[in-house]
Amino acid sequence: MEVCCAACSLLTSKQWRTLSHLTSKKLLRNVPFPTSLDKLLDSGLYTGEVTELSGGPGSGKSQVCFGVAVHVSHQLKQRVIYIDTTGGLTASRLLEMLQSETSDRDEQMEALQRIHVFRLFDAYSLRDRLSTLRSGGLLQASGGGSVKAVIVDSVSAVISPLLGGKQNEGMSLMIQAALALKTMAKDFGVAVLVTNHVTRGGRGEVQPGLGASWSHIPRSRILLERTDRAPSGCSSTLRSATLIKSSRQPCLIKEELDLQWWSRSERRSSGKRKRDEADS
Amino acid sequence: MFLTLPSILEKWPCQWSSGASGRRASPSFNAGEAVTALELLQRERECGSITTFSSQLDHALKGGLPVGKVTEICGAPGVGKTHLCLQLSVDIQIPRSFGGLEAQVIFMDTEGSFVLQRVVDIAAAVVRHFSLLAVDGEQKDTMQTFNMESILSNIFLVRCHDYVELQAELLLLPDFLRDKPRVRLLVIDSVAFPFRQHLDDLSQRTRLLQGLAQQVISMATRHNIAVVITNQMTTRLQDSQSHLVPALGEIWGHASTTRIILQWEGSQQVAAIVKSPCCIDTAIQYQITSEGFRDANQPEITLTNRR
Repeated sequence: MEVCCAACSLLTSKQWRTLSHLTSKKLLRNVPFPTSLDKLLDSGLYTGEVTELSGGPGSGKSQVCFGVAVHVSHQLKQRVIYIDTTGGLTASRLLEMLQSETSDRDEQMEALQRIHVFRLFDAYSLRDRLSTLRSGGLLQASGGGSVKAVIVDSVSAVISPLLGGKQNEGMSLMIQAALALKTMAKDFGVAVLVTNHVTRGGRGEVQPGLGASWSHIPRSRILLERTDRAPSGCSSTLRSATLIKSSRQPCLIKEELDLQWWSRSERRSSGKRKRDEADS
Repeated sequence: MFLTLPSILEKWPCQWSSGASGRRASPSFNAGEAVTALELLQRERECGSITTFSSQLDHALKGGLPVGKVTEICGAPGVGKTHLCLQLSVDIQIPRSFGGLEAQVIFMDTEGSFVLQRVVDIAAAVVRHFSLLAVDGEQKDTMQTFNMESILSNIFLVRCHDYVELQAELLLLPDFLRDKPRVRLLVIDSVAFPFRQHLDDLSQRTRLLQGLAQQVISMATRHNIAVVITNQMTTRLQDSQSHLVPALGEIWGHASTTRIILQWEGSQQVAAIVKSPCCIDTAIQYQITSEGFRDANQPEITLTNRR
């Protein structure tokens, strides 16, 4: 990340430190993304905030969520709460990603044990589960360990069937769930990552779903898209990530992301690296 | 019997109701509990997958269609979606001694494309294949019970004429699955047909489809069954060029965990895996023979051991 001058950055960090000293919480602890998404998010996912990933089907949202879960549980040795509403969580894929990080079987099993999964398929269960987690259930759910990341994949799958039409519960459920996520992030100092689907706007442009009310909830929003135009067939594993909302970076900056980064142990001999392997 | 407040607070409503009615709560899945990824891994390994009888497709899917997940098969008319569904309905019944799942299947037909003669042909080919493969005593014994009658009696066929009937059947399905615990596969062929006719309000259609998707996903997870849904294709104009894309909109694309698109490339039929949690995008060639869904350029009868 570029800063205008060293003096500016010093001033900013001093202000942050004073603020954190007053509130006795560290605001700048973050969960680094091990890929080029780090550059978009200004060095990673921030604790105390909600970050949103949106994209069409097959754009890689779940893969990024898996990558974050694996990174937090293996590199940072912290627990992860993963709420799966789409049924897409495949433990064998988590294991594959871990195998590209380490070849020690015990470490892989330990890392898998630090990821706690809840599988819920309707909005009421989601709201209830988030409320329970917020009011102290976080420690209980993780078996006593400290939780660093809460991932919800995806929020839109359970909430958007209730929005629109003649129903009026959908909006209130969405806001209750959102409130639980935000207070959980702030109170427990966890990084919250949610995924969302995309819809087409008035002029045909792609935008995240769930409407304008939801758009205020996440602090940072990233849109993932396939880079090639062909809608089917053997496409590449490259995706383009665009930052559409952020309080730290200028918006609409793009980065390319290679989903095969998480299978890099199989590719080490091929020499076709596209991104630098970021050390965490 | 006196209960203290903390012990009441820990219980979920379904635990109270199952205690009152005397029925055991479903042992496989409790929505309130967390599982670790390690336990999920062990469960996935126990579940297994359904072979498609095309070794290239099985290899690309890391063993076959996963049980406990939703798979979508899209394709233009006549490309072989129903054939693949019929093949899977027979393959799920392969006995355990040959490495199969020995399970039953519910086939929901909305288009009227379930043709009994094709099922008979596919089943006959599978029985012939395994009777040639049987080597030891156990396998030969199971071949006594693995025959045409048993295969046909393990397929439960439901005919739905519109989307209301389809939704009603899906609502009644959990009770059916509780009574028939051997069911491991649900086929819906196709989901696009009832939703594309008589539904003019597109936003209502999207909401209904999303609700259906969540119902189906929760059933797949709770009862540990594989769900296969077929979809049609539609044309989308983009940059003044037209492309064939799966029907029912982009939001429906999020419903399935794995998406396979069957298409023609010249004179060759190709199955492209465009969305999958554990396999990168690949395309494999296949063909539909009189015996069913097979690899392209494969001879009619093979003697390779599939175990």
